[in-house]
Amino acid sequence: MLPFSAEEELTAEQKSAFSKKTNLIVSLLLVLLILLVSLPVLLVLIVSVSSEQSVVNNGYSFFPDSFSLDAWRYLAHSGMYLARAVFNSFLITAVGTTLGLLIMCPISYALSRKNFRYRNGIMIFLIIPMLFSGGLVSTYMVNTQILHLQNTYLALILPGLCSTWYIMILRNYFQTAVPEAMIEAAMVDGGRQLQIFWRIVLPVSRPVTMTVALFQIFAYWNSWYPSLLYLDSNHTELFPLQYVLVNMQRSIDTLANDAQYISGMQVYTPPAVTVRMVLVVMAILPILIIFPFFHRFLKNGMTIGAVKG
Amino acid sequence: MRGLKSRKKGRTNRELLLFSLPAIVWYVSFCYLPLFGIIFAFKDFTPKPGDPLVKNLFVNSPWVGLKNFSFLFLSSEMPKILFNTLFYNTVFLILGIIIPVFLAIILAEIHSRVFSGLVQVVMVLPYFLSWVIVGYCLYGFLATDEGQVNHILRILGGSAVFWYQSPEYWRFILILTEVWKSTGYSMMIYLCAITSIDRTLYECARLDGATFLQRVRHITLPLLRPTVATIFILRLGSLLASDFGLFYQVPLNSNSLQPVTQTLDVYVYQALMMEANFSYSAAASFLQNIVGCSLLLIANAIIRKLDADSSLM
Repeated sequence: MLPFSAEEELTAEQKSAFSKKTNLIVSLLLVLLILLVSLPVLLVLIVSVSSEQSVVNNGYSFFPDSFSLDAWRYLAHSGMYLARAVFNSFLITAVGTTLGLLIMCPISYALSRKNFRYRNGIMIFLIIPMLFSGGLVSTYMVNTQILHLQNTYLALILPGLCSTWYIMILRNYFQTAVPEAMIEAAMVDGGRQLQIFWRIVLPVSRPVTMTVALFQIFAYWNSWYPSLLYLDSNHTELFPLQYVLVNMQRSIDTLANDAQYISGMQVYTPPAVTVRMVLVVMAILPILIIFPFFHRFLKNGMTIGAVKG
Repeated sequence: MRGLKSRKKGRTNRELLLFSLPAIVWYVSFCYLPLFGIIFAFKDFTPKPGDPLVKNLFVNSPWVGLKNFSFLFLSSEMPKILFNTLFYNTVFLILGIIIPVFLAIILAEIHSRVFSGLVQVVMVLPYFLSWVIVGYCLYGFLATDEGQVNHILRILGGSAVFWYQSPEYWRFILILTEVWKSTGYSMMIYLCAITSIDRTLYECARLDGATFLQRVRHITLPLLRPTVATIFILRLGSLLASDFGLFYQVPLNSNSLQPVTQTLDVYVYQALMMEANFSYSAAASFLQNIVGCSLLLIANAIIRKLDADSSLM
């Protein structure tokens, strides 16, 4: 860094159109905004460590009478069902993300090579599904009656494996980050495409592969729709965490309603009220943990304009 | 020498084709294979148990032409479903541009980089939560007995509201939920576009004595136009599509809320999974598809006429 470059470069403050006073006021308003935005998630976090009694008295409150880890303890002792759900979520996320990258990166590399003969043809082949799709009925029928995916892990993994968006983002990055001359030189040296891809292209493309990987991790971790479509209630051992939550909302509501109906009074099965919020926190926590780390990569995935052409 | 070169070229092409093969296989099985299922929409699907799908579809089910579509349009529910879908999408389209652009313009001027980063992280987080989680977060506020909102209402001396049985509030609740979840992400997209604008433009404007609003109007907004146009075209392409999670899971699939929460995607799901009405479901998604695709192409063509840089293709 040159010593005087700092003098020529304007600071953020000088570049900004806001005066010190405006900046302060706007900043305070933004603090208010992010507080409001984080309230729903905060509520869930607080309820998960509130005591059951406090929730019974005050409802789901930001200021519980007393804190307790009972719900967490209850879940820790609840046996295999939940442990299995967490395991399923991790499994689907890990396998789906890895397999997806293993399929998407090579084709993106092939499409990034300007002298690849079938480049345009394959590009059109990938774009058509963005415009037309068979719709839910035929997707469902093909997946269940031809590919026989129902009630298997594959039903939760395979349909989300690839996306034309990600392939285009990867292709664009490979195209710009790796100079054509570098690849030409490697080819003159007799390098095979696999070597070039593995030794030259992938190592310099870490930022973009990480971006796509993280987007896929979030997508798989959050996925519940395939479970709703392809898993039936006899296969609870396959349920990922998100789908357990979908089911719990249903079953606890019916449970509570029935209990009320039968006894004519409010019945609380001890952990029910706080326990589901603990499950929600378990589903949010991994996202919260990797999010600050992910934020750095987020902007790479947002170059919509660069996807063009 | 030429022979060697073209042999090498052939080898490269073969190798790269091999690279593409796994993805091509995936696209064939998960995108192209279901495409033939479009004809579900033109058949009266009457499967014989035991027969394979292809025989059931092509041999056992009679062609009915456009009958499924006319039934769909004549059903008493359809006007309401179409209205909901179009209503929410229009509102989301407008709010999804105005609010994020506004926030992005403000955030770009904030002096502290660290604070701006913090705002971005917090704002964008909801986008990465699933609709199931969002449903629970909302439930924390709206649950009849334990919900925070009813709790406050009781403290203020009011009576509890059965939120999940009261459709009159839900248009607002759904719009608020969608804005909460998606604003941050769109804001980041616009912010990226703004930060890539050449700062010397602003410098010149300032030296010429332009106010903040003038700068926004004459520099930021015109240069944001391609990004806005891209998002507008893409959104228009899904005008009849809707987020299934928002309209099904967030209202907890409550029957009494259906007048304001049922959209085409919810209908497509319910016709298939609850009523096993394959043909209507397929007709509805075919409609979604064809309208979306045409709108996308039309919007793109119009925008290309107006401003070539802003179009998608």
